[in-house]
Amino acid sequence: MTPPAPATRHALRTEPLDKRVVAATRSVILVGNPNVGKSVVFGALTGTYVTVSNYPGTTVEVTRGTATLAGQPWHVMDTPGTNNLTPMSEDEQVTRDILMKERDYVCVQVCDAKNLRRGLLLTAQLAEAGVPFALALNMADEAASRGFHIDVAQLTQALGVDVVPTVAIERKGLAQLTSGLGAARRSGFTPRYDDAIEAALAEVEPLLPAKGGLSRRAVALMALVGDDSLREHLAANIAEVDLARLEDARRRLAARYPESLRFVVSKQRLAAVDRLHDAVVTRSRVSAASTFARRLGAWSTDRFLGLPVLAFVLFVSYEFVGVFGAKTAVDFLENAVFYDRLVPWTEAFLRWAVPWKGAQEFLVGPAGVPFREHAGFIVGRYGLFSMGLSYGVAIVLPIVTTFFIAFSILEDSGYLPRLAVMVNRTFKSMGLNGKAVLPMVLGLGCDTMATMTARIMETRKERVIVTLLLALGVPCSAQMAVILAMVAGLSLAATAWFAGSVVATLILVGWLAAKVLPGRGSDFILELPPLRVPQAGNVAVKTLARIEWYLREALPLFILGTLILYALDRVHGIGLLERAAAPVVVGLLQLPKEAAVAFILGFLRRDYAAAGLFLHYQPFMKAGTMTREMQIEVVVALTTITLFIPCIANFFMVLKERGWKTGVAIAAFILPFSLAVGATVNALMRWLY
Amino acid sequence: MTPLHAQQIEELLEAVFTEREQGRDDPGGVVAHAGNHAGDASTANLGELEEAGLVKLAGGRVELTVDGERRARDVVRRHRLTERFFRDLLLLSEDATESQACELEHILSPEATDSVCTLLGHPPTCPHGKAIPPGPCCGALQKTVRPLITGLKTFDLGTPARIVFIAPRFHDRMDRLAALGVIPGSEIRLHQRSPSFVIEVGETTIALDPEIAGEIYVKRIEA
Repeated sequence: MTPPAPATRHALRTEPLDKRVVAATRSVILVGNPNVGKSVVFGALTGTYVTVSNYPGTTVEVTRGTATLAGQPWHVMDTPGTNNLTPMSEDEQVTRDILMKERDYVCVQVCDAKNLRRGLLLTAQLAEAGVPFALALNMADEAASRGFHIDVAQLTQALGVDVVPTVAIERKGLAQLTSGLGAARRSGFTPRYDDAIEAALAEVEPLLPAKGGLSRRAVALMALVGDDSLREHLAANIAEVDLARLEDARRRLAARYPESLRFVVSKQRLAAVDRLHDAVVTRSRVSAASTFARRLGAWSTDRFLGLPVLAFVLFVSYEFVGVFGAKTAVDFLENAVFYDRLVPWTEAFLRWAVPWKGAQEFLVGPAGVPFREHAGFIVGRYGLFSMGLSYGVAIVLPIVTTFFIAFSILEDSGYLPRLAVMVNRTFKSMGLNGKAVLPMVLGLGCDTMATMTARIMETRKERVIVTLLLALGVPCSAQMAVILAMVAGLSLAATAWFAGSVVATLILVGWLAAKVLPGRGSDFILELPPLRVPQAGNVAVKTLARIEWYLREALPLFILGTLILYALDRVHGIGLLERAAAPVVVGLLQLPKEAAVAFILGFLRRDYAAAGLFLHYQPFMKAGTMTREMQIEVVVALTTITLFIPCIANFFMVLKERGWKTGVAIAAFILPFSLAVGATVNALMRWLY
Repeated sequence: MTPLHAQQIEELLEAVFTEREQGRDDPGGVVAHAGNHAGDASTANLGELEEAGLVKLAGGRVELTVDGERRARDVVRRHRLTERFFRDLLLLSEDATESQACELEHILSPEATDSVCTLLGHPPTCPHGKAIPPGPCCGALQKTVRPLITGLKTFDLGTPARIVFIAPRFHDRMDRLAALGVIPGSEIRLHQRSPSFVIEVGETTIALDPEIAGEIYVKRIEA
C-alpha cells in the first residue's frame, strides 16, 4: 500500500544536502519494487528543493529533486514502485513511460536484499531495456540478520553493473553507490527466451522506432505480450502496415501457448533469474530478533489473536488522537491561544488600524459586545477569523495532526496491510476488498483527504463505493470528537444503538451499491511488508506533508464555508432555512427545533452539527438527568448527522475526484436517505428501547 | 464407406463438444476440427453417429444426444486430464503433451482416469484454461489414492510446497501473481487460511482471496 499522493508531496526534508539550485544536465531515475526503501534513498540523495507533480494525464505523482553526486549536479527522479516494466497498473505505467520518454539518464535500481529474486526480475527487464544502471541491495542489514548471504562480487560480474549493498536509512553505502553513477553501464543480463519468442522478437524489432529511452528488444517484448498501454506510443511512431505485421506476429505467437504471452515471458524470465539467484544467494541460520517481528506480524493477521492486537492499536490511537489531540491540544489552542489571546488581539489591532466607526463595526462588531453575539466580518459569530480560522486551526488542526502522526506510524510499521487482511471478508460483502481499509481509516481523520485516497482502489466501481461510504457514514476526527463527548453522556444501550445503526447502514448501503453499480470488484492480492519500527524522520516528513496538504486544500474551504455562513446570517437566511427544515427535523425525526440549526450548519462545518446538539443536551448530561426521551433524541440526531451530507470540503472533493454527475448523485442519495434512517431508528427505538 | 471404429466416433464426439464450447455447431466445422484419429471423416460420418443415437442433425446443425453427451464428456475429460498430467507434472513440451493426450484419451480406463484426476487434485481446467468435465471422483472423498497435487485451499499450514500449476478464472490474476514471484515452480508456504489466505513465497508475504488460493495447485516438497 503506497501512501496516497499527499504523502510524497513536497519540500519537507530534514537535512539540507545541497541548497544550490543547479542546472543539471543528467538525470538519475530511481526504480524498484514497492516497499524497498526507494523514497528513503531519494530523500538521502536530494537536497531541500523537491517538487511533486502529477505525471501528465494521470493521478500518479512523481517526485523530482536535485543532488550533487561525486561533484556533479544531477536531476533525481523518484518513480512509483513497480514489479514489472510491462505495466499492470497506472503506477507501473508511469514508471515505464518515464523510462521510455526521458533521455540521457541512468537508473538506480533499489532492491530489497532479502527479496533479491523479485528485485532481479526487474533487473533483468532493465538489462533488456538497455538502460545504464547501478543496483542497490538495500536493507542489507535486515538480509544479513535473516541469514542471507549475497555474493556481491559474483553478482556484479554476472550483471556487469555496479552492485552496492546499502542501508539507506543509515545512509550506508550511498556514497559508494553514487560515486560510480557517472560511469554506469548497461547490463548484459538479458534472458534468452524460447525459440518461438526469439524468432518473433527478431521479426518485430526492425519494425519499431529507434528513438526512445528503452531498447527495441524491450519495446518489442512489450508489444508482443499485448501491452495495451503501449498502443498509443506505437500508433504514433510506426506505419500502419508495420502495426498490422506486429499484430500478426503477436497473434501467431500467442496461439502457440495455452497461457497468456505475458505470463509465458514472465515465467521464462523468472527461470533465468532463479538460476542467477541460486548461484549468488546462500542462506544460513535465522536470528531471534527477526523472528519476533515475524511472530508479531503473524499474530496481527490471526483470526483470534488479530483482534486483541487490533484492540490495542485502536486503544493507543484513541488515547493519542481522541484524548490528547481532541481534548488536551484542542482545549489549549481554542481557549488559551485563540479565544483568550489571538481573537482579542486581532480585534484590538483592527480597531486601531481601522479607525472609522462604520468599517470597524463591519469588521469586528460594536465595541464591548462579546464576539459570539454580533455579526462582525473578521471577528464575530461567523467571523472569518473568530470562526473560520479558529475552527480550522484550533479545533481541526490538532486532531488532524495527531491523527496523521498515528496514521503515518501505522503505515510505516506495516500494520495497515495486515488490518486489510482482517477486514477483507467484511469489505468483500460491500463490493470492495481489504485494500479499502486505507481510505476508510484515513476517513476517520479527514474524509476529504480520504476521498482523494480512494484512487488506490483499482476499479471505478470500487472508487465510487468507497467515496459513497466515506461521505455517508465515516465520521471524521472533528466530528468524532463531539460524537465521543455526546456518547459519554448516553447509556451503554443507547450508544450501542447509535454505533449499530451507523455500522449496519454502512454495510447495507455498501452491499446494495455493490449489487446496483455495474462493473466488477478487483482481486485481493496484497503484499504484506515486514513489520518494522517506523523511522521518526519519515513519520515526520509524511505528517508534515499531509498537514501542509490540509492547510492548503482544506483550510480555504473552511474559510469559504464560513463566508457562506456569514452571508446567510447577514441576509437572515439561516432563520429561513431553519424554518424550512423544522417540519422534517421536528415532524419526521421528533427532535427539538434547535436541532434544525445544527443540521444546516452541519453542511458547512460537519462537526458543528453535532456540537450544536451537544450544547443543547450538555446541562442535562452534566446533571445526570437525561430522560429516556432525550437518550432517544440524541441517538436519532447523532445517527442522522453522522450519515448526513458530508462537509462542504468533502463535497467539493467528491465532485473533483468522481465528476459532478456522480458527486451530485451521491449527495442526492445521502440527503433523503440519512433522514429516512433517522426516522427508522427513531421509530424502532421508541418501540424497542 | 467403412463403418467407423471407436476412436473415430470419439474424435467426432469430442469435436462436437469442443466446437460447442466455441459457440459453433456447424457439421462442416466439426469434421474439419476433428483430431487425427478421425481419419478422413466427412459429414456423412456424422449421419452414422446419428443412426447410433449419439448426435442429432437438424437444420444444418449438430447437437449431442444424452448418450453422445456422456461419451463426449468422458473423452474430453481424459484428454484434458492427461494434458495436465504431462505438462504440469512431467513438464513435457506442448507438442509432446498434445500428441500423448490424443492417444491416451482413447485408451485410459475409467478407474485410471479417476486416479489421475485425484492425483492431480481434481483440477478444474486444462493448461489451456478450458474446463475439465468433473468425474465421479470429484467431490467424493477418495481415500485410495493420496493426491500428489492439492489445491492450496486444503493444503497443510506451514508445510513447504512447490506450485505445480495455477488455474485462474481471470488471466490477469496469473500476471499479477507472477509479478510477485508466484508462478509454477516457486516454493510456497501457506501461512493461514482465515480471515484471509496468507502465503509466503521466498521472503515475500502475500495476502489473497480464498478464491485465488483455491486456484493455486501445489505439491509437497519431500524433505
